Amino acid sequence: MARLGIDIGGTFTDFALIRPDGTTAVHKRLTTPTDPARAVLEGVAAIIQENDLSIDDITEIVHGTTLVTNALIERRGARVGMLVTDGFRDTFDIGQEQRYDLYDLRLQYADPLVPRALRVEIGERTWHDGSILTPLNPAEVEQKVADLVEQQGVEAIAICYLHSYANPDHENKSREIVAKRFPNLFACTSSDVFPYAREFERWTTTCANAYSQPLVDAYLKRLEEGLEELGFHGQLVIISSSGGLTTPETARRFPVRLLESGPAAGVLMSARIGRDLGLDNLLSFDLGGTTAKGALVKKGLPYKTYEFEAARTYKHKSGSGLQLRIPVIDMCEIGSGGGSIVSIDSLNRLRVGPRSASSEPGPACYGRGGEDATLTDANLTLGYLDQKGFLGGRMTLDAGAAEAAIGRYAKPLNLDLVRAAWGAHDVANEDISRAFRVHATERGFDYRRAVMTASGGGGPLHAARIARKLMVPKVIFPAGAGVMSAFGMLVGAMAFETVRSNRVKVDDLNATRFDAAMAPVETAAMAYLLENDLPRSQITLDRRLDMRYCGQGYDIEIRLPNGVSSADLVAQLRSLFETAYREVFETLLDLPLEIVSWKVEAKGPDPDFPIIGGEVSARAASTESLKGHRKAYFALAGGMIDCPVYDRYMLRAGDVVTGPCLVEENESTVLLDVGDTASIHPSGHLMAEIGQA
Amino acid sequence: MSASQSFDAIDLSIMWDRLISITDEGAAALVRTSFSTLVREGFDLSVLIFDLRGRIIAQSAKCIPVFIGTASTTLRHMLDKFPQEALDSGDVVVSNDPVFGTGHMYDIAVMRPIYLKGVLVGYAMSISHLPDIGGMGFSASATEIYHEGLRLPVVKLVKAGEVNQDFMELIRLNVRVPDQVIGDIYANISCTSVVTRQVADFMKTYNCTSLEPLANAILQQSEEALRQALLAWPDGQHTGEVQVEAGEETRRLVCTVKKQGDCLSIDFTGTEGCVRFGSNVPICYTRSMALYAAKCLTTPTIPNNEGSSSLIEVSAPVGCILNAVPPAPSAGRHAIGHFVVPLVFDTVSKILPDHVAADSGLIDFLTLQGHLPDGSGMSVTYCAAGGFGALQGLDGRQTTPGSSNMGTTPVEVFEALSGLRVEEKVLRPNSGGDGEFRGGAGQTVSMRNMTGRDVTVHAMSNRTRFPAKGLFGGGNGAPRAHLIDGKETSGQGSFRLPPNSVLTLKQAGGGGYGSPKARPADAVRQDIEDGFLSVEHARDIYGYDGAA
Repeated sequence: MARLGIDIGGTFTDFALIRPDGTTAVHKRLTTPTDPARAVLEGVAAIIQENDLSIDDITEIVHGTTLVTNALIERRGARVGMLVTDGFRDTFDIGQEQRYDLYDLRLQYADPLVPRALRVEIGERTWHDGSILTPLNPAEVEQKVADLVEQQGVEAIAICYLHSYANPDHENKSREIVAKRFPNLFACTSSDVFPYAREFERWTTTCANAYSQPLVDAYLKRLEEGLEELGFHGQLVIISSSGGLTTPETARRFPVRLLESGPAAGVLMSARIGRDLGLDNLLSFDLGGTTAKGALVKKGLPYKTYEFEAARTYKHKSGSGLQLRIPVIDMCEIGSGGGSIVSIDSLNRLRVGPRSASSEPGPACYGRGGEDATLTDANLTLGYLDQKGFLGGRMTLDAGAAEAAIGRYAKPLNLDLVRAAWGAHDVANEDISRAFRVHATERGFDYRRAVMTASGGGGPLHAARIARKLMVPKVIFPAGAGVMSAFGMLVGAMAFETVRSNRVKVDDLNATRFDAAMAPVETAAMAYLLENDLPRSQITLDRRLDMRYCGQGYDIEIRLPNGVSSADLVAQLRSLFETAYREVFETLLDLPLEIVSWKVEAKGPDPDFPIIGGEVSARAASTESLKGHRKAYFALAGGMIDCPVYDRYMLRAGDVVTGPCLVEENESTVLLDVGDTASIHPSGHLMAEIGQA
Repeated sequence: MSASQSFDAIDLSIMWDRLISITDEGAAALVRTSFSTLVREGFDLSVLIFDLRGRIIAQSAKCIPVFIGTASTTLRHMLDKFPQEALDSGDVVVSNDPVFGTGHMYDIAVMRPIYLKGVLVGYAMSISHLPDIGGMGFSASATEIYHEGLRLPVVKLVKAGEVNQDFMELIRLNVRVPDQVIGDIYANISCTSVVTRQVADFMKTYNCTSLEPLANAILQQSEEALRQALLAWPDGQHTGEVQVEAGEETRRLVCTVKKQGDCLSIDFTGTEGCVRFGSNVPICYTRSMALYAAKCLTTPTIPNNEGSSSLIEVSAPVGCILNAVPPAPSAGRHAIGHFVVPLVFDTVSKILPDHVAADSGLIDFLTLQGHLPDGSGMSVTYCAAGGFGALQGLDGRQTTPGSSNMGTTPVEVFEALSGLRVEEKVLRPNSGGDGEFRGGAGQTVSMRNMTGRDVTVHAMSNRTRFPAKGLFGGGNGAPRAHLIDGKETSGQGSFRLPPNSVLTLKQAGGGGYGSPKARPADAVRQDIEDGFLSVEHARDIYGYDGAA
């Protein structure tokens, strides 16, 4: 059996294959934005052929896509109608009533996904304790939905009532009414999408879900049919934002949970490497075509969060996007990718991104009509990329076009080309370092004692220098780093996560009450796996509670140990909370505790993934692995030098290379600076010790 | 590092950012552990790092304008009482004195000296809005400062690591929600401990023995940016004024802005006197608001520190309502203090017409007190935003706070906290000032008392009698109004909301910019669709001839 991971990114679609014998192969091709399934299907055919396999050998395809992310950014989603509690039609316009930048008088905010004319009020009301204040009138719902569909032509309905997290009855009834009258219409409820108090965020998430439903459905249908045409009979699974695998059916129901699924998979791969190598603290760094991303992994588990902002609309600023609530791997993102455009700001400072040349037209050196200088153009000019050997020789880069583009901004500043290109490279490294520093610090994570993993097409080129700025002592360059997200798809387990708001005072709890609150959340989380024929015995539950001192507004997440009776758990809650609280805030208070939300992640077994271990003795890299030398810029070595270039495929376990040097594989190039030393681990990873400035 | 050490651009930006991220991290810890809704939802807090000379080097990015430029005065008073030699590692000094704090006693300043290898190198401070401070509760109804609660002297709350329990007990006995107030004080204590530890680590990492060289470089660069911005303005001197409600009375605020070379002075001479009502504004608050307005217009992207206000002078005659001194009460100083920003903008509009926003509808501010149906005590602060003022080329945004930046509490959270049912929260049509660029719309919020008992409403509102003015031919925003069961009440003072009665808050619109005749018909049509304009109003004012 062979398994295939496919990750659609903004610029490239990546493929990672695990062959029946456990060895791996990769493939990369340009994304086809107007019909993303095309690159996927072509790539599947290509990678099978390249590896002398038949489609019958592929038992499973794991897929991640930026389809939803792009639909939100480009506003290409469905025409959605919204049913909302009487008196709250304007919730999206009124917003959170806060400026995200105090000093900028010209702030702009993301437009609501559902225009005001398509939001209709329903006379119903649930109270915060779940009791019904105003009953639902089914005739009113039916009439208003009919108007939306027949007069306004909506393609999907988002049902959003107040306090539905406490009692979903009205939302469920409304959905039944919609389903009965319009069986083929997409409809979702806010209590199903994310049953969490705070109407603005929950409803925004629900509308984003409805907005992407028709699109994702059509895409998956095209993909399923295309794969069937290729003769694929295995299982297609989709990776979600939190890194869990879901079926196409679940993905159709919760498409909003597909946001950022590709990057999530990259972090899973990092986590897997960390577990295999016994590393406690990892900083996962990815640099792709449009952005750089960082995530933290502690003891093999990626940090997670429920807050995600999509599609920022004003100067890439936090607060200007759509405020969503979904389970997601906690990543910081910065607009510095290979396609990020280099510019000069009003104070004559060099800036990289957040504007991107993406895949169309792409960097100037791609020769597809791009005129703006990008980070990739700078890296080519600095000699870090091989103009003939890009993507293993399948793509040539136009060095003249890159230099011309850089010249356009270098000239007004009186900079020579190399200095201007170096400025862009270094500014990107600086920006990324700063973003990581803040992200890690805010989460109490000591990056200086962590190990970095580098991935994405551009990650290995920048990682060693960013690590040096952060004083991170070690960097791992995994084999296939350029397509690590695609590999990450293959290490994930089937999983589904549910969160429910339910405020309960700990003093009022006993085992029975605890079970009564927890059981429905567990059932909901497991339902998706059971429906997909995973036996109960193979499902493990990760149960977590958000707890706080009564009256505080923010919560601390507590992970409940497995295999402990409910009575014992209830007895341990306070000490579990205090341990976690003290770790972050140092002090404790003598106050009652409450549980605010209940979270359960149901997970299937981890799939097999070949990782080779063992000890080898170090030796200098063989002469066969040295491809030759190329002029490349190393400030620490005094400028343009004759830089040794190694062929990663010729390096064997135990081989040692020292910086300054470049190590090339088809999808990415590792850069080691003066003072860095790296050796090939038996698993194939290149492990670097970073010199300190 | 020597005192004259210089930093290259990259080193400076990295170290500068690092200090700011330490304060941001302290602020994040404070927000997460705090009980006060205003701290959590409205970022009514600030975290700062000072050098040994008491100059602000870094301030947390997420804060509200009131905290700009007040903290160095607070620190100076603390050091007057406890000079360097009287401080010890493990000491924590606190004060809530409105005179040299932030203008009301709800804000507690907590200061911890920073030591590196036993040597004092600087100071960390956090300031946050406490859930209660005794007295009448959070309202503007006091006639003397003594009604407004517990005024703490500058005191060592923690002495070499030992908490002064007698003092804690004194606070505990004088406030309504002692556990929450004490909890918030501890949140500040641990926040400053995080900051001092991180600053010491930072100095070790970069091999610094003093923060001064870095402070010099940071302040110099900030001041230079401000200087360049001011030099770009034309010189000039202009005076503006505004009428404001002050309890049952009205007061005139007068502002003179003088810009000459690289100096800016903002003076409030001519402003009328204090009232026997808690909306008097101590000078520290007036100064913060004026500095904030100036910052929006000069260096909005430069982080806050002592250098970013060094070329700006703010003054007001002692005893006027913008320089109130005890015993004038000031708990609700924001109700009038928030007018300083639009007043400065309006005055500067005569120098820089294209840079300023028209008046904003400002923020409504209420405290609700009573009991939940289960008998437990209830005290909730509620904010609702009016519309933002229009600018050249940009409509004012609806329901967006002006002057300060308190966010709203989600309806689902507010209802559970207060026992009041929000029956509607909708845009208020025609409330934004008309104009080529339309003022932001306000909103209408109605809430029914479902608690079964009386609820006391303490209102600290403004713009009920004096609307947000338009600029350059733009119309005024609609004024704010409070109604109980449909009958209008005053926006300032304390009221009874009987069981099942409905409190309606109509939020003020922002001022418009330019003549409404110049607004394109398409934009007017969109305004109707978006709920900002009624068809009749569009016809009457904009000459709209489209269908309803």
